[in-house]
Amino acid sequence: METVKLKRIMQGYGTIFAGIVIILIFCVLNPRAFMTFQNVINISRQISLLVVISLGATLVMTVEEFDLSVGAIASFGGLLAAKLALGGVPVALSFTVPLVLALGIGFLNGFLITHFRVLSFITTLGTSTVISGITYWLTNGASISVGLPQAFKFFSAVSFGPIPLLSLIMAALALLFWFIMEHMAFGRKLYAIGGNQAAAETAGLQVNLNKNAAYGLCAVLAALTGVLMASRIGSATPTSGDGMLLTSYAAVFLGKTMFKNGVPNIWGTFVGAAILGILANGLTIMRAPTFLQDVLTGSIIVLAVVLPKLSRGTSA
Amino acid sequence: MILETRGITKRFGAMCALDGISIAIRKGEFHALVGENGAGKSTLIKILTGVYHAGEGAIVWQGKPVSLPNPRSSMDIGITVIHQERNLIPSFTVVENVYLGTDYEKRGIAVDWKKMKDRVNRLMDELSIHIPVDVPARLLSPPQRTQTEIIRAMMNDSKLLILDEPTSALTDQEASRLFQILKNLQNRGTAILYVSHRLDEIMALSNRITVLQNGRLVKTLETAGTTKDGIISLMTGAWSAEASGPARPSPGDCLLEVKGLSSADGIVKGVDLAARAGEIVGLFGLGGSGRTETLECIYGSRAASGGNVRLGGTAYSRRAPAASIRRGLAMIAEDRRGKALVTRLSVKENTVLSVLDNYSRWGFINDRAQERDTAEQIASLSIKTAGPSQAVEELSGGNQQKVAFAKAIMSSPRVILCDEPTQAVDVKTRREIHSLLRTMAARGRAVVFVSSDLKETLELADRIQIIARGKSGDCFDNKNLSAEQVLGACYAD
Repeated sequence: METVKLKRIMQGYGTIFAGIVIILIFCVLNPRAFMTFQNVINISRQISLLVVISLGATLVMTVEEFDLSVGAIASFGGLLAAKLALGGVPVALSFTVPLVLALGIGFLNGFLITHFRVLSFITTLGTSTVISGITYWLTNGASISVGLPQAFKFFSAVSFGPIPLLSLIMAALALLFWFIMEHMAFGRKLYAIGGNQAAAETAGLQVNLNKNAAYGLCAVLAALTGVLMASRIGSATPTSGDGMLLTSYAAVFLGKTMFKNGVPNIWGTFVGAAILGILANGLTIMRAPTFLQDVLTGSIIVLAVVLPKLSRGTSA
Repeated sequence: MILETRGITKRFGAMCALDGISIAIRKGEFHALVGENGAGKSTLIKILTGVYHAGEGAIVWQGKPVSLPNPRSSMDIGITVIHQERNLIPSFTVVENVYLGTDYEKRGIAVDWKKMKDRVNRLMDELSIHIPVDVPARLLSPPQRTQTEIIRAMMNDSKLLILDEPTSALTDQEASRLFQILKNLQNRGTAILYVSHRLDEIMALSNRITVLQNGRLVKTLETAGTTKDGIISLMTGAWSAEASGPARPSPGDCLLEVKGLSSADGIVKGVDLAARAGEIVGLFGLGGSGRTETLECIYGSRAASGGNVRLGGTAYSRRAPAASIRRGLAMIAEDRRGKALVTRLSVKENTVLSVLDNYSRWGFINDRAQERDTAEQIASLSIKTAGPSQAVEELSGGNQQKVAFAKAIMSSPRVILCDEPTQAVDVKTRREIHSLLRTMAARGRAVVFVSSDLKETLELADRIQIIARGKSGDCFDNKNLSAEQVLGACYAD
């Protein structure tokens, strides 16, 4: 019985232990720079954007679908916001217009996938390419960095005491989506659909409608990530968000290994993003070459998904 | 009357699955639905639950005609079904599964978990069901899952509860617990439509029994005025075995011997089986009894957990499809499962699929030899095709089945396992396939086949081995054997 219990704990929390081990290693190797208050704040800011975009990916993964267009939507959102602001549109408006358009894109994704019953993997790969093309078209491929109003950089400047606004936004959104997923009917419906779509449909749940909502929210969060990123660094390029696609899914997959036995969940995603962020931060502090970061990050992702299978194999 | 159907007819293409079915179910009645495999029970249930739509006929609910375009509409008027494959979300707790399809209790915008739990607990007390409510469904035992579904049905105040083979995964003790719960429901006025192969249960529990046969309604009768044997004879009709071809040579050595076979997934629980050279053995059992799974365990495409298999007198332990083919054991899988053929590939590629290595040297394929041998098979099996290069998916069902046979023959097997050899083929092809199987046996091979069609089994088999609930039952020599005897053995508890 004891070993069975231990196994169950390892299955639910093994990835967290791995995260703690990583933190401990960095603490030992570089106690002065890593385990400081300032660095913890830094990490929270560094992972804030990743967390926001990964929350959306979590919703879509919960209904057992993919959205590969989140990176392209983030790039689109950031560049569009910058272009609008450059053209004299009030900053608040240039921040919100991309979110509204993204909602449309998300619904389009959802509509294509649910209405025509096509694979989300392929469909969103297609829409992703279309969005990328449009993003390039906005500026003929150029970046926007000069000439942006000071207000555009709002999110880089503001902080409450020592805590940056971005970190607070991340925390608020994570809490909000945790509440939605765990304590609101909408979230439970998403879990029902992902758990057994046929049963959910038979029980009278509106599968397509809920999937559409998940895609809509996912796209809005992706665009928000792009807008926040552009505001934080005070510039935007047509590819600035592209790299977030794979990292965000890495965070969700890491998160699936935590807390809820293979099911995507908000806290799992949060901790997953945090582990990836801590790893990047620690290695940067130690001046490790970037290729080592890639090797380690990739290995952790593979290990996190393989290890639970191994322990399950021996217990079956 | 709570529910009446009037002349329900359902066709799939040319096949008539249900033909003018009129049944009536009374309030608070325990109504059993019985019939052989393919009699139309599942189709009728799917129509009552809004999954299929009847081509003709009407459904009358509490005196008013209703239309049931989707599962939701059927649930809304108070019809609930509990399936063989259970409709639970594995990661959800009992409480959430019970509330699936019902609006969650809320406090403001948040889900009120406590209120939901209280209501489920109250309902469980009323139904005298006792299961833990905070446990995810995947950790529940089969009877607990069935009970969860019953609670869910009663959340919506189900007036007609349909149970499709609810006891097939239960032990006797668990089943009697279920029956107690069903009695409680009946006392509350819920009508029960109960589909089961287990006639003893039905005789003990039901008020009335409706018998279906080949999509037609044979009779609805009071349980009190009938016997188990009476029901079986209504299910089979009056026919018995037909004279089956010319006399066959007496069988030779035992080529296949199976002892105590069981599968890792627990579907096969102890099957003994023997097949001698020159003999055709028919495996017969009711749906879900583990016939196909037995074949797959022998062939090695399904993991076995126990038992011995001897091929031609030598033990064959580490079984796998590739090893089986090397040892002269071929399997012709049921066509519709998509395991028999690679339908996009050509007739030729499929025919030589099992023995591709024989046609290649250093990895290069001798196309001419393939072509020649395939043409030979096409001629000898009279496969209707434009030629060896035609894609199999372009052939008719019967000709596809023949290609599957050609593939099996190519590996020169001594023992042939064959699952539903004539499913969905026309009468002529069916006869051809039967004579092909007889020819194979006459040439000293052993043939073991599974058919859901009792008539076919009686026509074709030299011996009939009964499989019931994953275990081997009686074994009959097919001489003067009647359908009643065979079915009776299947229903023996």
